[in-house]
Amino acid sequence: MNYLYFLYTEILAKYNIPKLFGEITFYIIPFCVLAVALLIIVLILVLAERKLLGWFTQRKGPNRVGWWGILQTLADALKLLLKENITPSKADRFLFNLAPILVFVPAMTLLGIIPYSAEFTFVNTSSNIILYLLLAAFPIVSIFLGGWASNNKYSLIGAVRSIAQVLSYELPISFVVIGIVTLASSMNLTEITLSQYTKYGILGWYIFPCILGFIIMFLCILAELNRCPFDLPEAESELICGYNTEYSGMRFAIFYLTEYALLFGNALFLSVLFLGGYLSPFGAYLSHIFFGETAFANILVYFEQVFWLIFKASLIIFVVIWIRATLPRLASFDMLKFSWAVLLPLSIINLLFMVIFKYITGGAV
Amino acid sequence: MNISELQNVLKESKIENDKLIISKNLHDTILSIKDNYNFDILKSITGIDCGNNIELIYHLYSVPNQEDLLISTYVTDSAETVSDIFESAKADENEIYDMFGVQFDGNADLKRLYMPEGWNGHPLRKDYTGNDTRLAWNDENNA
Amino acid sequence: MTQGWLGMTKTTLKLNLGPQHPSTHGVLRLILELEGEKILSCEPDIGYLHRGMEKMAEKLSYIQYLPVVDRIDYLAGCFYSELFCRTIENALNIELSERDKNIRVLLLELNRISSHLLWIGAFLMDLGAVSPFFYSMREREMVLRFFEKLTGQRMMYNYFVFGGVRNDIGYIDDIKEIIKILPNKIKDYERIITDNPIFLARTKNKGILEKSVAANYSITGVNLRASGISYDLRQNDYLYKGYEFNPVVLQGKDAWARYKARILELKESLNLIRQALDKISKTKTQAKTFISPLGIKLPEGEYYNEIEAPRGLASIYIKSLGDNVPYRLKWRTGSYYSVNLLKKLLLGEFLNDAIAIAGSLDIILPEVDK
Repeated sequence: MNYLYFLYTEILAKYNIPKLFGEITFYIIPFCVLAVALLIIVLILVLAERKLLGWFTQRKGPNRVGWWGILQTLADALKLLLKENITPSKADRFLFNLAPILVFVPAMTLLGIIPYSAEFTFVNTSSNIILYLLLAAFPIVSIFLGGWASNNKYSLIGAVRSIAQVLSYELPISFVVIGIVTLASSMNLTEITLSQYTKYGILGWYIFPCILGFIIMFLCILAELNRCPFDLPEAESELICGYNTEYSGMRFAIFYLTEYALLFGNALFLSVLFLGGYLSPFGAYLSHIFFGETAFANILVYFEQVFWLIFKASLIIFVVIWIRATLPRLASFDMLKFSWAVLLPLSIINLLFMVIFKYITGGAV
Repeated sequence: MNISELQNVLKESKIENDKLIISKNLHDTILSIKDNYNFDILKSITGIDCGNNIELIYHLYSVPNQEDLLISTYVTDSAETVSDIFESAKADENEIYDMFGVQFDGNADLKRLYMPEGWNGHPLRKDYTGNDTRLAWNDENNA
Repeated sequence: MTQGWLGMTKTTLKLNLGPQHPSTHGVLRLILELEGEKILSCEPDIGYLHRGMEKMAEKLSYIQYLPVVDRIDYLAGCFYSELFCRTIENALNIELSERDKNIRVLLLELNRISSHLLWIGAFLMDLGAVSPFFYSMREREMVLRFFEKLTGQRMMYNYFVFGGVRNDIGYIDDIKEIIKILPNKIKDYERIITDNPIFLARTKNKGILEKSVAANYSITGVNLRASGISYDLRQNDYLYKGYEFNPVVLQGKDAWARYKARILELKESLNLIRQALDKISKTKTQAKTFISPLGIKLPEGEYYNEIEAPRGLASIYIKSLGDNVPYRLKWRTGSYYSVNLLKKLLLGEFLNDAIAIAGSLDIILPEVDK
């Protein structure tokens, strides 16, 4: 990041632009990049999910718009943009309009705190893992707002269900994250990534000592994202569409996009915590293996790191979609019981185990 | 328990077209038939408009004995309910109320079922003219 | 409205489930009263699909009414066709040829398979699993393709006529392929569904239907047999004479048993189809001696017939005064009583269990509304 900042101020100084301007805009530019990248990623994700679900159910998936259906999601998004934004007459207009805006912010910010490669994190605070815990739980506020403001009974039930769900699944996540923090002795995501580095590559990843934590966190993230089998808040066969039943057009599109942005963000986060983040699974980076320690290879490594991170996240997303194609939905009571009676005790045991592991492997606890 | 034996037991009943025809005390008769001869399923109640009166055919079935029994009775505008004996009779009686306008004493759940609330006439009656379409809606009931 | 915590008033939530709702399988409307997600009362409201089948019969001659009866249950049209034809045949003393009887059995069982397959998909869809729907629809498609080739229609066949079937059977290879493929596919369904822990948690001990309650509510068919009462009309049906057949009876009483019973029924139906094919291959195509359908007049009297349809006992009652139209025609359908049962079965359940329970009863609305 410092390197990029240096480059940026260099260029500005060349054209005699005041340094203050550079200091302010430097932090805005990445978010503009991120916003565009996010849209593209979401479009790809939606297509990927539909294609995969198609294959899982022995269909072809979207294949009409563009080659191999590649423009299908774009066409869908365009359709949603052109549709009328309907506000129910008895809805709370202000909150109803506010909810989709609010839901998008944490999703964007979440993507900003992920270390995509060495020296490339948009917001690199010393303890951005705390920020993650906050941001991951935040969309629930707008989900509840949207569900409540719609003045629709299905939306209300969906919103209440999702509050109950997030409340019960937020706690195990925190315990697992504390375990990782203990292992890495840091709350910074870049440092957590780097602490997983060994020359054996994959063996240093925290998924091996913390496999239990990984499973718990994976399940909790499914629940937080309202993904199958925890999709009670938007259970199609029960609540039509849950909290966003009344939303249409652009507002619905935002909810929809955010869902996928959050899925992507959480998958990235899981790979940072457990799968070594941007580290290569072979220890050394492929660019270094193929091109030696040249300057070209050093630049290529940045891209390779982004590739590895997104590759790991894609694996996780694949499993998420796979689960959706396989499992039915949990019962509402079982959903709560599963968190409080199974995941929470397990996550505490996991934390205990992490502390002992850290003590044995010689870290100062 | 076949039908002619039953007829010997039950006084004031006769057999016609394989049906046991009862003229009164329908509720008690069906209750005693259910209890004494294990007729545990009421398959259906069929209503037929016979002009002056309406025939109700109760189709009973006994699972243990694998026997069918048809009991028939003639009513005019109201009949005894058997919904306290067979829960399924509620649905049947409701349908007959909707289609024939027969009131069942003791069945509080009667309402228009297929026809909209406030519809004039009962379609399966022979004197139903059928020309009172949507115009026949009773606006007061509907409001 | 009751007084609650901190002087707040506590009210119940009235929820209109339907008539447009993904899991009411048509236009059923359930008026639910909820406390939280717990159902305090359930009032089914039907009639959105009422077509006046019984009134129509009083205006149409028998041959005019024949195509209509398929529409009573558009997923299992053969059964109502068969019921109607059988009544006319009994009344006019028409004897079916051996071959026609076996063709009818074959088609009835194929129709039952397609109906049950759709149910499996729809039920799992209610539970939130997407894939099984596509899997079961894929196999149902094979059955429907066969029906389309044979009868020209995918769902409302109008294939049975008074005194036999419209055309002789053909496309035997298609059926043989179905018989070959389907058992493996059923195994696949079982692998993905039957022992799935989430599926078990959603259906085991949910919606328990006791024997006495089932009988009291006049529940028939698979739902009754899954409650432990052995009552299958196919045992005494004249069409099925000479067929080896074991009725599927389970003691589970819950939604899972109703699911399992349908899976087992699929296998049983395949068995019957195999036997029917065998019997058909032993008979030869005969020249048809159709009775002229135009002047059909039933002798004065009352005619009653019943058959084991996929959704329970279906029966027909015809009263004729000797005209070419019936004086009164009454249909009895299984789903109508299942809807009535919802009032009792959903009480005290959570909303998403209620969806599973209602789905497990296999309610289809054209049958309810007639």
